[in-house]
Formats: sequence, C-alpha cells, structure tokens
Amino acid sequence: MIRAHGIKKNYGVRTVLNGIDFVAEQKKITYILGSSGGGKSTLLKILIGALKPDDGQVFFRDMDITKLRGTGLDPFRKKIGMLFQQGALLNSLTVGENISLPIREHTPLDDNIIKIMVKMKLELVGLRDFEDLYPGQLSGGMQKRVALARALALDPEVVFFDEPTSGLDPIVSSVITKLISDLNRVLGITCIVVTHAVEEAMKIANKIVILYKGMVLAEGTPAEIQGSSDPIVQQFITGSPDGPISFHASSRDFREDLLVE
Amino acid sequence: MKNFAGYLGRAFITFLQDLSSLYYLFRETVLQSFVLITDRKKLSQARLLAQIDEIGTQSLPLVLAVAALLGVAMTVLISFQLKEVGGYNYIPGLVAVAIFREMGPLITALIVAGRVGAAFTARIGTMKVSEEILALETMAINPVRFLVVQRFIGLLFSLPALTTLASFTAVLGGFLFGSTRLGIRPDTYVRETLDVLTFTDVYSGVIKAGVFAVIIVMVGCYRGLVVEGGAEEVGRATMLSVVSSTLAIIVLDTVMTGAFYG
Repeated sequence: MIRAHGIKKNYGVRTVLNGIDFVAEQKKITYILGSSGGGKSTLLKILIGALKPDDGQVFFRDMDITKLRGTGLDPFRKKIGMLFQQGALLNSLTVGENISLPIREHTPLDDNIIKIMVKMKLELVGLRDFEDLYPGQLSGGMQKRVALARALALDPEVVFFDEPTSGLDPIVSSVITKLISDLNRVLGITCIVVTHAVEEAMKIANKIVILYKGMVLAEGTPAEIQGSSDPIVQQFITGSPDGPISFHASSRDFREDLLVE
Repeated sequence: MKNFAGYLGRAFITFLQDLSSLYYLFRETVLQSFVLITDRKKLSQARLLAQIDEIGTQSLPLVLAVAALLGVAMTVLISFQLKEVGGYNYIPGLVAVAIFREMGPLITALIVAGRVGAAFTARIGTMKVSEEILALETMAINPVRFLVVQRFIGLLFSLPALTTLASFTAVLGGFLFGSTRLGIRPDTYVRETLDVLTFTDVYSGVIKAGVFAVIIVMVGCYRGLVVEGGAEEVGRATMLSVVSSTLAIIVLDTVMTGAFYG
C-alpha cells in the first residue's frame, strides 16, 4: 500500500537517510524502529508528503507522492490520518471542533451529522464526554487519544503514528497500543508506526523495519526480528548498553578532540 | 571590513528572500480570501466577527487614550509657537490636518503593530513549533486560509475604523485643551477645524490605514509561519515582526504622504 524506494535525505553535510526501501502492506501494522536521532521522524515526514527527499520515491498505491506539491497532495492526504508525537491539536479549538475540522472542510455534511460523527470518533478513543473541553484542559494521554480521534475523522485508509506512546505512563501507553491494534483489527486500517518502543512493536506489529545509520538494518515479522543473529539488531531489541551500537554519537576521535591547538 | 561586507551581503539577500516570500503570501492570502468569501460554509467557520472584535474592539481603549493625549500634546506644542505671533486661530486647523493626514494613521498603526501584529507572530509561531500547522497541512487544510485570511480581513476592516476613531478623538482632545486652557471659543474652534479640514485629509488617512493593515498582517503572519525551532525562536520572530512592520509602516507612510501631498 505504501512503498518507499531508495529514500535519501541530507541535512547539509549530514546524511540522515541513505537509501531506505520498504513496503507497508495494506491492512497490516508496520512498525519502523530506530534509535533517537536515527531519521525516523524525517522518514515519516517524507512518507506523508511534508518533506521532499533528495532522492527516491514514495508510492501510495500507484501514486508517487514525492512528485506532488501543494494542493496536488490533497487527494492523498484525505485518505490518510496522522497522529503527531505531541498530538498537535489546535489549542484555540475545543476537542469537538478539532475533530470536526477535517469533516467540515472536506465533506458537505450538515452540523447534526457532523456532531454524531464527532461523538462516534470520541467513543472510539473512550472520551465521549470531553467534547467541549479545550486541549489544554486534558492530560497528555487524553490529548493523544483526541488527536487519534481527529486522525480518524475522515475514515482514512492509512494512519501514521509518530512516537504514539512516548512520554506516557505504562497504562496509557498500553491503552494507545491496544487502540492501534483495534483500529487495524476491527476497522482494517493500515497502520504505520514510527517509534523506539520495541516491546510494543513486538506485541502488535505484523512487520518491523529497523533503521540504523540511515539505512534499513533488518525487516521482518516480530519472530524473525527476535531470531535475528545480527548483533546490532539484538542489541537494539534487548536495549543492552554494551554492543556494536556506540553510546557516543560524535564521529571525531575523542583524543584528537582534546588536543586543543 | 570583509566580514562586514559579507554580513551586509547576506542581510540584503535575506531581505530580498523575505520580500519575495511576503509577495507570495500576500498573493495566496488574496486568492484564499476570495475562496472564503464565496464559500458560505467556510465563511461561517472563519469567525471573522471574533477577529474584528479581538483586533478592533480590544485595541480601542489603548488607541483612544493615546490619541486623546496626542491631540492635547500637539495642541500644546503648536500653541507654544503660535503664541509668539498671536496666531491661536490657526491651531484648530493645524492640529486637525496633522492628525488626520499623518499622526492618526501612523500612531494607530504603530500601536496595532505592537499589540496585534506581535500577537499574530507569537500565536502562529507557537502553532508552527508545536506542529499544529503541519497537522493542518496533513488534513489537506490550507494554513493560509485557516490562519492568515481571517486576520487579513479582520484587520482590513478594523484598522481604518480604529484610525478614523483615533483621529476624531485626537482632534477632540485638542478641542478640549484649546477651549478650556487656551481660551479659544468652542464654536470658533469647530468652525476653524471644519474650514481647513478637507475630505481628502480624511480619506487619505483611511487609505493609509488600509495599507498599514496589509503590512501588519503580512509581516506578523509571515514571521510566525517561518519560525523553526522552539520558544526562543518564537520570541525572536515576534521581536523581528514588530521591528520589520514598524520600519515598513514608517517608510510607506513617508512615501504615501509624498504621493498625496507632495
């Protein structure tokens, strides 16, 4: 359904993505894992058409979205939903107004129908009574659930999740993870999740893609990833501090760095 | 010296880039304004009255207070000079013309640029860094129509209205001071004012206010839309927004005064 081919992206002299290839299949949950600063968010922005890659293509069915600009992206964007890391709810609008915004914008439905739809979306995330509150009056977990309800407003075919459980307590994290699983299982929505939460990926993913140094290090089912003999993959999924993945992000030699002229 | 030349060169290139981006933002804003006006459903969602209220009504007390004091101050200064030659009768006309042509539009625009333009930048900049604008784009909602157009139309209505009220209030301030402290008869003050003041004086102020409204909205929103980074950058953009719009207002005011009366 979503196919990335040879994605490359540099920020100045720093290469963030260096030829990413992967396929996210329809009605499946694909987790993209990688360490912090490993280019996951950049890849996600490229997948939703918010950022142009320096090279490579992203196909949604047969549509190359890297070739589209401005309003040309609208047909694609009406078919997707996006849950941002911090929710990105519009703080000047109530919860209900946030969710109804894309519906009002893109459908000719009247107010009563829209109100019913908003209640249905809020019921999906378990927050039906919170319609009239403002995002600032909600906890972080609730904001993410409202943001998910908004992402589902137009009944998208694909939903992208950017670090959906980061900064949340374990219970709320489990609730969000279960919601992702339910969306896929009950509504058949294709889910693409970018995160570094390995445990949650192992629980619900159909496919895991691990990024390392701007490239795809490994991909497969959770069982295949767990059975991988690659020491980098093993270190990543076990979270061990010792192994080939260095704690130090600096590329220059420490001893050379200390030799001040 | 070489560094200074380099700095100047970079600043000039940045200025040209900003100017070009402002032009595209203005073009998109005008285009999206027509889209909004012709779509009743979107128009009702735009909360134009709320914008006009926020920009106009809430700025009114400050603008009127400053305008009244300005009228008094100008009357005091002018009377100080004219006392020497016994020309008190010229005070009403001089004050009225200076206020309607120049001081009313200029002072109102500067107050609104500091109060409203800065708020536009801070709000839109905060939305940018918290990914709210990216969220709008991802929902296929045009951020210019959603964020800029309502402010554009709101200020285009509010600023000329505020300017006209401010000019009348400033003249009233001058009238009260002149008739109570300088001994000019009230009927003489009114007659002298109406004899000198022309319709051109009033409408040139309104036209100036319209142009200043465009400057304040475009600069305020543009500075917010291009913010990258965090809270510190939002603060810097807000400061830049006030500085840029203040400079642009003063430069354009000089150009327009020259065009109307030069």
